Amino acid sequence: MHMKSWRNFFWVGSMLLVTSCSQHPVFKQYDPVFQPGDQQEWAAKNRNDQDWKKKIALTDGRVFWSRTKIDILEAPESLHPYGIRLHVYGEYEVFWDGVFIGKNGNPGQEAMLAPEGKMWATFIIPTHLTEKGEHLLAIRSSLHYFPDHVGIFGLEIDYYDDILTDRLIETSYMHIFAGAFLIASFYFLFLFLSDKKEYPMLVFSISCFLFFILILTEFIKAYVPIHYSLHHIRLQVIGILMFGISFLIPFYFSMQFPYPKRKLCLIIYAGILLLIFLIKYDFFDFTARIMALSMCVFSFGIVVFGAYKRIRGARLVLLTLLLCVLINFVTSFDKSLYAGFGLILLSMLYLLSLRIKEQRLAYENSLVQSTRLRLELLKKNIQPHFLMNTLTSLIDWVEESPKKGVLFIEALAKEFDLFNQIENQTLIPVSQEIALCRTHLEIMEYRKEINYSWEEEGIDPEQKIPPGILHTLLENGITHSLPLEGNNIKFKLIFESNAHYKCYKFLTFSRGVRQTTSNREEGTGIKYIKARLNESYHSKWDFTSEATAYGWKNNIKIYC
Amino acid sequence: MNILIIEDESRIAKRIARMAHDIFGNALQSIKHINTLHEALKFIQNNSMDLVLLDLNLNGDNGFDILTTAVSESFHTIIVSAYKDQAITAFEYGVLDFVPKPFNRDRLEQAFNRAIAKEKTGTHKIKLLAIKKRGRIRLIPIENLLFIKGAGAYTELFLADGTKELHDKSLEKLEQLLSHSFERIHKSYLVKMSEVKEIIVKSGSKYMAELKNGERIPIGRTKYKDIKARWL
Repeated sequence: MHMKSWRNFFWVGSMLLVTSCSQHPVFKQYDPVFQPGDQQEWAAKNRNDQDWKKKIALTDGRVFWSRTKIDILEAPESLHPYGIRLHVYGEYEVFWDGVFIGKNGNPGQEAMLAPEGKMWATFIIPTHLTEKGEHLLAIRSSLHYFPDHVGIFGLEIDYYDDILTDRLIETSYMHIFAGAFLIASFYFLFLFLSDKKEYPMLVFSISCFLFFILILTEFIKAYVPIHYSLHHIRLQVIGILMFGISFLIPFYFSMQFPYPKRKLCLIIYAGILLLIFLIKYDFFDFTARIMALSMCVFSFGIVVFGAYKRIRGARLVLLTLLLCVLINFVTSFDKSLYAGFGLILLSMLYLLSLRIKEQRLAYENSLVQSTRLRLELLKKNIQPHFLMNTLTSLIDWVEESPKKGVLFIEALAKEFDLFNQIENQTLIPVSQEIALCRTHLEIMEYRKEINYSWEEEGIDPEQKIPPGILHTLLENGITHSLPLEGNNIKFKLIFESNAHYKCYKFLTFSRGVRQTTSNREEGTGIKYIKARLNESYHSKWDFTSEATAYGWKNNIKIYC
Repeated sequence: MNILIIEDESRIAKRIARMAHDIFGNALQSIKHINTLHEALKFIQNNSMDLVLLDLNLNGDNGFDILTTAVSESFHTIIVSAYKDQAITAFEYGVLDFVPKPFNRDRLEQAFNRAIAKEKTGTHKIKLLAIKKRGRIRLIPIENLLFIKGAGAYTELFLADGTKELHDKSLEKLEQLLSHSFERIHKSYLVKMSEVKEIIVKSGSKYMAELKNGERIPIGRTKYKDIKARWL
């Protein structure tokens, strides 16, 4: 997993390098000036446009002109024409040094004709008009749908072939990048569907899918012509996707690195994001930027807390976030956005892999533990201390008093039978466990010749408990106790339950073997009980075992 | 014969007692059953006896604590236990016999015979001798022991480092336990044969065994033939 994340990291890194290494520009652009009205002479190169304005306000779709001075810094090689790529709202005609070089829609006729043209249009500039020196770009346009969007939002001059192919190459790389996240999204969705408790996987899957759509939406402009009247739809989609991702990433980190008052913090954060999303700014990218920034700040807080609490993986995620900030400083917003999101998603993937590994180890452990416990339960009846002492006593009874010997054998058979019934279960009805204890006492009476008695209080026979735990307590009680006056030892099982917990009290009324009443060191029996409780109730239990004035007291508490 | 049974299984203790009565008959002077470690230690300190039958797992306690005390005493110890895997260790500590449970009368009688007939332990190798010193038990490895001299009811152990320790067991009892490598060359001496360098014949049919460290130990006139036959 580690290797994979590093490979991906290098891939993203090298891609960043490819996209950021642009050549020196071959042109210099001056501020455009605008003038409402429509005169063909305005296309001319050497016309006085001193009285034209840097900004104009339009209210309808009438024709207006813009003139932009451009210096060509380097003439193109022969037979390789320059092209110009414009990012401009409206339908327009393009003039270069007074020569009509292209058309994008039908300026002035938008109200009558169907929408035509696209947001990003590329035109060839005739070679003879691109010698080094001053040139003029004049645009005759109209903005029927968004009259307030006057301006040139992007202008690029380079070899015509390069302008067309560069964008496609970049787009193809980004689509490969997006595809990786699409696959991750499906993979983790299926994982989630197979285990519906794993919400981090679902959140990760949705985040990956949103990121996939975000890249697609961003780069669709390179190959799908979008009319300027529809462009805002694309921007809105990007806004919604940004909103989703900006919320989901900190939400995911909140799951992985829990902190106090999580719900409240997340609700407040969602409110802030919504506010940012709903307020309209003149500049669309601003919304995206603030959302990305909020996401970064909030995630940073969560991850720092996780690192402070020494949760596994938090440090690496923190490093990734710092790397994102660094990338943001050295590249443009667009690039750092994709690289940053990509890196953060990879770090989320890393966290998931850590958790999956932890779960797998825990599962394997629990399997081993269950087998071990099963064996331990089975061993109870064949371990030499029990078996050989029982057999020795049995031989003696058979030799001395065959009738009692037969009863002894029957009791033994009953205990073996009960053990066989519970041997492969993790929970059994308490009535079965009690039957086991009573049979065991019968056997021990033959062996020890002590009068054992058994009492119960408040037992609900249907309640379930792990097998062998009361039996183990009974064994301990027998081993460590001496009879009271009259050769008696009494065991008492009390069951109490309320809304919060169920409690089994197991009491031994006897003399202790040792003079001191210090706690017994934890033997295999107590370990078995604790392991069984862990297996069935995880950490929701409590077990105490202590000497009392009358003998011994064990307390098993199971929380609901 | 005075016997102590240390056993927390009442039925088994009674079985041992009953069989002991049968086997020893009138020779059995007393038999006592104790079921806790603490009481057993107290009883051993205050009473003299000839034989102790010990269960190694008393009330969940490790019986080796009491085993080291028992083997340092003057009496022989026989283990009666469910754990056969502890037999080798028990023999290394110097018990006379190990009777695995479940046992019958014949097996118990065999163990008792070892005690009465001064039979040797045979193939089981003792590795340690427990001695009481200033109220504590010290374990001496057999390889450090050169020879033993009888001193009435006690014995003196002569060690490789030149020191001397006292043991509560009689020379006869130690001879039983150490028979695999030690030889009774004199009525008062038990010697590790691997330490004997040579046998010196002196005038008047006096024989001496010279040890590797130069020490000379007399060889009993009656023992010489046996020793010559077995070792030379």
